[in-house]
Amino acid sequence: MATTKSKFLKEWNTLHKNGPFPLKILYQTKLEGERVMPKKIDRYNDAAKEIQRLIKETQADGDGFRAYGSAWSMNNIASHKDRMHYNGFMNISMPIHNNDCHSNSSYDSSNLFLFECGTTIKEVSEILAENGKSLKTSGASNGQTLAGCISTGVHGSALDVGSVQDYIVGLNLIIGPNKEDIVYIERDSKPVLSNDFIKKLNARIIRDDNLFHAALVGLGGFGFIHGIVIEAEPIFLLKRYVKKINKNIAFELAKTMDFKNSTFTIPEETDVSGKGNRPYHYKIFINQYSNDPECVVELMYKKKYEEPYPDPFPVIKESLYRDLIYLFVKLAENLPKSIPWLVKRLRETIMPKVDDQTTGMLKEIFWDAPYQGPAFACSFGIDHKDAPKAMELLGKLTRDEGPIPGIFAMRFVKQSQATIAFTKFPITCMLEIDGVLWKETKKIMSLKKYSKRMIEVLKENNIPFTLHWGKNSDWTFPGLVKHMYGDQAKEWIKHRQSLLSEDMYELFSNNFLKTIGLAPKSIT
Amino acid sequence: MKHLKYVLIVFSCCVLTSCYSVRLRNVNGAPQPDPFSDRDDYYRGMAVVEFDTVISIKISSEDFTYLIKEKEACESGKINIIEYRNTFGGVLLSAITFGRKRKVKVKYVCEKLTN
Repeated sequence: MATTKSKFLKEWNTLHKNGPFPLKILYQTKLEGERVMPKKIDRYNDAAKEIQRLIKETQADGDGFRAYGSAWSMNNIASHKDRMHYNGFMNISMPIHNNDCHSNSSYDSSNLFLFECGTTIKEVSEILAENGKSLKTSGASNGQTLAGCISTGVHGSALDVGSVQDYIVGLNLIIGPNKEDIVYIERDSKPVLSNDFIKKLNARIIRDDNLFHAALVGLGGFGFIHGIVIEAEPIFLLKRYVKKINKNIAFELAKTMDFKNSTFTIPEETDVSGKGNRPYHYKIFINQYSNDPECVVELMYKKKYEEPYPDPFPVIKESLYRDLIYLFVKLAENLPKSIPWLVKRLRETIMPKVDDQTTGMLKEIFWDAPYQGPAFACSFGIDHKDAPKAMELLGKLTRDEGPIPGIFAMRFVKQSQATIAFTKFPITCMLEIDGVLWKETKKIMSLKKYSKRMIEVLKENNIPFTLHWGKNSDWTFPGLVKHMYGDQAKEWIKHRQSLLSEDMYELFSNNFLKTIGLAPKSIT
Repeated sequence: MKHLKYVLIVFSCCVLTSCYSVRLRNVNGAPQPDPFSDRDDYYRGMAVVEFDTVISIKISSEDFTYLIKEKEACESGKINIIEYRNTFGGVLLSAITFGRKRKVKVKYVCEKLTN
């Protein structure tokens, strides 16, 4: 039997220390050993039973329940004041064979894999690489769990690919303590698994496009995500370049995504007529405190996997640099005018080195990002055509009303089909400011106030936006979700209510969902 | 007074230069997590095994082997990250005992079990 340890606590915190948030009990479930239960499917189903037992126990005590993975989200989306479950040890993986597929499946079965919720992106990538496959994209890092990524819409900067949830093709959810509460949801229009295989998971089959799209970015509210079926692709290499280019050219590319007709080209990345190739990844770094007419950009081009290729790993990872930034920021809390100077001095440690060139697999290019102290990140989803204007406005705000100890970056992501994905525009520019957490003083405003001002500025200037679900913001801002998603939010609530019983709807609702109005008693 | 200043400077230099950590991290595999841990350093969220001890080495021995076994904090029995720390005290101890006593300060994190 899978076993669960529980610990009585008063509070819980995220990896980046964005809390603490109240908590009563923290669970962690470990799977039965392979020696006792050799078959993966048996261990998987055994774990499902254990989760159902915990849900039953929680329900009996009138408490709420929330699963979480690597705790990388920077707000309380992963927290619950009553009980939380750490999923990290639930990491079974299974390839999907051709005879496990639905007769109408249009997928190449060699690209399909089932992963248990707590499998991290790094683990997923390694298992895929052993099979000659790769994830299509990741969140530009590898520590998050797969379930955590899709629940909050984690993205990289893959212009034509999308976010992590966009290659998910099936979801196995535990939505209550009863036998019929293990469900498997996939698109009706693109079925994946055969009924026989789904029966092996003891799951009730639901084929419904709209419900599937609502549950894809489910914010942890659609029950316990137990298994995730992904569509991988044959392994590939990414060739990464870091260049310094004129800001106007970088912004023009952001606006048009027309790499073919841009004056900026990388000689090795052009077609036969000398026109620029379209990159897989495009990212712009902006130091809002600098008047430099140029900015740093990062581009990656997809290449066929061929060995050998140069070792992409840095020789050694220094852990000192971020500690220094942290120290400087502590000083800057009392001397905010020094922040622009500090950011400028530290540019080489917080921005990639210009003219860097690396080649590697996705899993190598986006390798481990070790913990480097308390951090914040505010990230807005904006139509890429509005990106330069939004950057100008938020940069100005940060200079005029700040300074704030962080720098901006712009990443670009293809539209998602998920009902409340923040990547809702045809190409969404994720405009983000990342930095080190600071404490409010008389001279420097709080993170919440800064977040509020950013929302106000975008609204005042009629720039439609969304917010990254897993990052910092003023989530109490009135009418925020309605402003961002309109009827899509209602649609999401409706599907959640249709899937869950009344008790389970409440059990899986946390303070985050209640604060932003996504867990109402009825749809208004 | 002036001499004391120089002595302090030399002493500080010795302490600073002899205290260092070397960390080896496997590029593959994930570190074993520990959600109950509340560490606030590089190892935040990881199941860390630490030992800080003095070992005795016979004059005839050239090295010392420490066995890493499967246990709760190291379920796989395989190393993912290991950090060795050298301190001024350790250097001093080794020097005054002619290498027979060695201070060993190590942290390691095992690989998360795969399924």
